[in-house]
Order: sequence, then structure tokens, then C-alpha cells
Amino acid sequence: MEIIETYLIGPFAEMAEYPAGVLETVIAGLGNGFLYALVAIGFVIIFKSSGVFNYAQGAIVFFAALNFAGLLQAGLPWYLAGLITLLLLVVVAIVVERAVLRSLVGQSPLTLFMATIGISFFIEGLVEAVWGGNPHMLKIGLPESSLFTIDYAWGATIGLDLIVQESDLLAIGVGLVLVLGLFVFFHYSRIGQALRAVADDHTASMSVGIPLNRMWVIVWSLSGLTAFVAATVWGTKIQIEPTMIGLALKALPVLILGGLTSIPGALVGGCIIGVSELLFETYWGQPLFGGATTEWFAFVLALVFLLFRPQGLFGEPIIERV
Amino acid sequence: MAERLGPIGRGRSGRRFEEVLLEVRGITLRFGGVSALSDVSFDVRKGEIRSIIGPNGAGKSSMLNVINGFYRAQQGTIVHRGRTFRHMRPYQAAVAGIGRTFQNIALFRGMTTLDNLMTGRILKMHATFLEQAIWFGRARREELAHRERVERVIDFLEIQEIRNTPVGRLPYGLQKRVELGRALATEPELLLLDEPMAGMNLEEKEDMCRFVLDVNEEFGTTIALIEHDMSVVMDISDRVVVLDYGRKLADGTPDEVRNDPAVIDAYLGVRHD
Repeated sequence: MEIIETYLIGPFAEMAEYPAGVLETVIAGLGNGFLYALVAIGFVIIFKSSGVFNYAQGAIVFFAALNFAGLLQAGLPWYLAGLITLLLLVVVAIVVERAVLRSLVGQSPLTLFMATIGISFFIEGLVEAVWGGNPHMLKIGLPESSLFTIDYAWGATIGLDLIVQESDLLAIGVGLVLVLGLFVFFHYSRIGQALRAVADDHTASMSVGIPLNRMWVIVWSLSGLTAFVAATVWGTKIQIEPTMIGLALKALPVLILGGLTSIPGALVGGCIIGVSELLFETYWGQPLFGGATTEWFAFVLALVFLLFRPQGLFGEPIIERV
Repeated sequence: MAERLGPIGRGRSGRRFEEVLLEVRGITLRFGGVSALSDVSFDVRKGEIRSIIGPNGAGKSSMLNVINGFYRAQQGTIVHRGRTFRHMRPYQAAVAGIGRTFQNIALFRGMTTLDNLMTGRILKMHATFLEQAIWFGRARREELAHRERVERVIDFLEIQEIRNTPVGRLPYGLQKRVELGRALATEPELLLLDEPMAGMNLEEKEDMCRFVLDVNEEFGTTIALIEHDMSVVMDISDRVVVLDYGRKLADGTPDEVRNDPAVIDAYLGVRHD
């Protein structure tokens, strides 16, 4: 009886007592969730069109963040540093296509997956060799704050007694803009149409003259762009160091929820994971389990999800399990 | 069979074709130790319907795949409109006006009929992303022109009713027709059809035959097709090339091929007399 009281009634009673706190947690959770989603979208773009599960996406986020921060520290203005970083990401896309994917055409998905693990280590080593292993921060005038300190009473101005971090709102806003942009790109542009065709059937695409090699470069560049956006927003929240790569793997449970082939799915999955893990941490984790439940909660949720709907919320019924 | 096909069995004799559109010379294709094609040469002339026939495993599909660049032949060249290629990439082939359908239908199954046909226009779109995004000027004019072409193909193939149906849900015969439509949307000069009538019932076969002939006549498209059904081949082809075990066995008009002893031995299996 006491157990039920503690674990099932207590937390909800607390929520009911101070509902604004729940809202704050949800918004902060959404902020995290959109960041996970930004990384997950990078996975989806590549997987959808080429069937490659790109383990290196986390490393590419790290690559983008560290290059951006490094170039800023070297004294470049933010727009120039950003542009160079984007160009470097396109270079990465071209090199990956030429050096890795082209020679592995027709290999099994597992082989390609292993290759991307190799790419991941290579990129991590390369950027650290160039910029050093010290943690960096991105300072480009975006609203910043560290992950778990609440430092800005934004909500008070709209009459709600809420404490919200600007960086969370930034993540949500940027995420929405990016998803909208990708949607317009995929549905209304020639290249977007071609990419959707490629995602549907490779042979058919080739027969109408869509050059697959060029498409791989484009999808890797696009996912590089999402990595760059993720890195920029993330870099204002946390320090840029190799652990970022591990944190980027939070995109995996997001993908399991949202499905490997759906961009809106990645967004919804990200929101569910971000919000639920923070609610759990706030109302169950910290008071009852000694905290740090965000480390594992998302993965447990994904595991439960796999039992009931392995294709994810929005994924195609037949998927490759990685 | 030839009799029952009736109306489509119009005579193809008497048509003359001079201009060579595409020529394959000495094509040899091996997969590991297996020879799929050995030293095969023939040409396709502008405006004709050219058939490639042969028993299973004769290398017919491989030949088409070499022509539009899906396979890379170890030896031999492809001469297209006077230009010689060691190997043509699928992209080059498409740009050069070579369209293609497949034995095991390759459609964008998640898309509607209309969208499938529109993908055939991708190579011909020139407006930039920005123009397209704001639906302005050139993008608008282009889109309308592409629509027009696609509508013409839809009318031509009589697939108005299924224009907004996702093709994955269509019956087999209609899928084949949509695939032909997508190839036509690219405005090909040469159309490669890989067993366009395979697995169809009689009625569907008759329809498809009619479309093939009409495409050839109305659009002036040169057609190279692979087919199993001998009566169909003999009825609609101008010239036929026969492959057997990856080698060219015979080449000529349907009548010549029909009476070639080597072909009769290897393929038709009819008694000599």
C-alpha cells in the first residue's frame, strides 16, 4: 500500500499541487526533445533514401560543433565560420560517397553500418587532432544556459508564472523551422522529388535518369546541415566534447519511436522522449531513484515500444532492424 | 494465338529503316565465371520495333541492362547516334533519350500514378529550388508544361481513372501500363521494354500490344523489346534478334527468323521439313 502511495499517487499529487511546474518540465523536455529530433532527422534523411544506417551522425554533429567553435575562437565572424563549417560538411559528404559508399554498392546493410562506425571513429579522431580535445563552448550571441540551471524568468512577462529557458524555446523554434524547410524542399523542389523517388525505388530512379551517386552526396550534405543546426543549438547548451557523440545516440530511441523513415516521426518521437524522460526524472527519478534517470529512461521506453510496435509510430511496417 | 490477337496483328512488312540509332558491338558480359553475353552485335534503327527473343537465360535482360548502363560489359562498345561508349551510365542513357521498363516492375510504389509519371520529368526541369519554392515565373511555366505532357500520356494510355491511386494498390497489368507511362513521360527516343506482356492475360496483352504499336506510330518512338510470346513478337516486330546462351543466333525480319533452321532447333523446337 505504501509502495503504491509513494510511486503511483505521490508524484501525481505533486503535479496537481503545482501545475505550472509540470508545464515548465514539459517545455524543457520539448527543448531537449527537439534537439534529439534534430539529430534523429539526420539519421532519417540518409536511411530513407539509401538504406544506410549512419552511425556516424553523432560524430558529424561533433565535427560540425567543434569546427564551428574552433573557427570562432580563431577570430572569424560567426557567418563566415558557419559557412566554412557547412562547406566542410559538404566535403565530408563527397568524401564519404567517393571513398566509402561507392566501393560498397550492393553490400549488405550490416556491412554499410559497420563502415559508418569506421567513419564515426575517423571523424572523431580527425577533428580532435585538428582542434584538440579540450571542451569548447559556442558563443555566437544565441541565448545560452547550462542544461539544468534555470536562469531566466521569461514566463513572468506573459502573466504565467513560468520559468523557461530561452535555449529550449530556441531549440523548439529552430527545430520547427528546419522541419518545415525540409518538408518544402522534399515536396516542392526537383531534387526533393528526385530524393523521394530514390527513397522509393533505386532501379526505377536510375531508369528515369536520377544519378544515384549525386543523390548520396546530397543526402549526406542535407544530414550534415541538420547536424550543423543541431550542433549550433546544442553547443549553446552544453560543452562541446567527445561525450556529445554518446549523447547524440539518444537519437536511437527517438528513431525507434518515430520510425526510421519518417521526418515528422522523428520530431514526434523526439518530443515524446524529451518530455517523458524529464517528467520521469523530475517526479520519480530525483525524489525516488536518486536522479540521473535521463541516462537510461529513453532506452527503456524504446525497449518497451519495440515489443508492441517495432516499426515505430510512423515508420513503414517492414523495416530493417539495426 | 496470332489469329486470336486479331486486330493488333497488322503486318509489319514493307517498312524500311535506314538510320542506325543504336548499335552494340561485340558485347561480352560475364558474372564471375558465367558468361551472360558473348560477343553480341546488332543494331537498332530509328523508328522500328526491334525485338530480342530467346529462351530463359539467353541473356536478353542482360542485354538491355548493358544498353542503359545497369551492367558494365567487359568487352564491346555501344554506339549511340554516332557516339561510341565503352560503358553508358544510367544517367547518361536517360539524358540521351533512352527510356526503360522492367520485367519485375520497378515503380515508385508509394506514389500515385500521376506522381510516378511526374518523376519522368525530373531530368527536364530547370527551375531553381528557390523559384520552385515560391512557385514563381519559370517554375510555374515549367510545371504546367510538364503537366501537359504527363496528361497527354495519361490520356494516351487510358489511365485517367487511376491517376490519384497509389500504384502499389493497382493490379499487375495496370502497373505495367503505368511503368510504360513513366518511361513515355521522359520523352524517350528509344524505349527499352523488358517483357512488357509477361504475366498478363490475353486482354491485357492485346491492350499492351496496341499501346506499343501506337507509341511507335504516334510518338515516333523507336522500340527495343524483349518478349516470350512468339506470336506477339512476330506480329509487331519489324526485325528480330535471337539470343541463345548469350550468343546471337539469328537476326532479321520475323519471317527470316521464323524460317532459320538454327532458331527452329534452339528455340522454337519445331520439326524440320
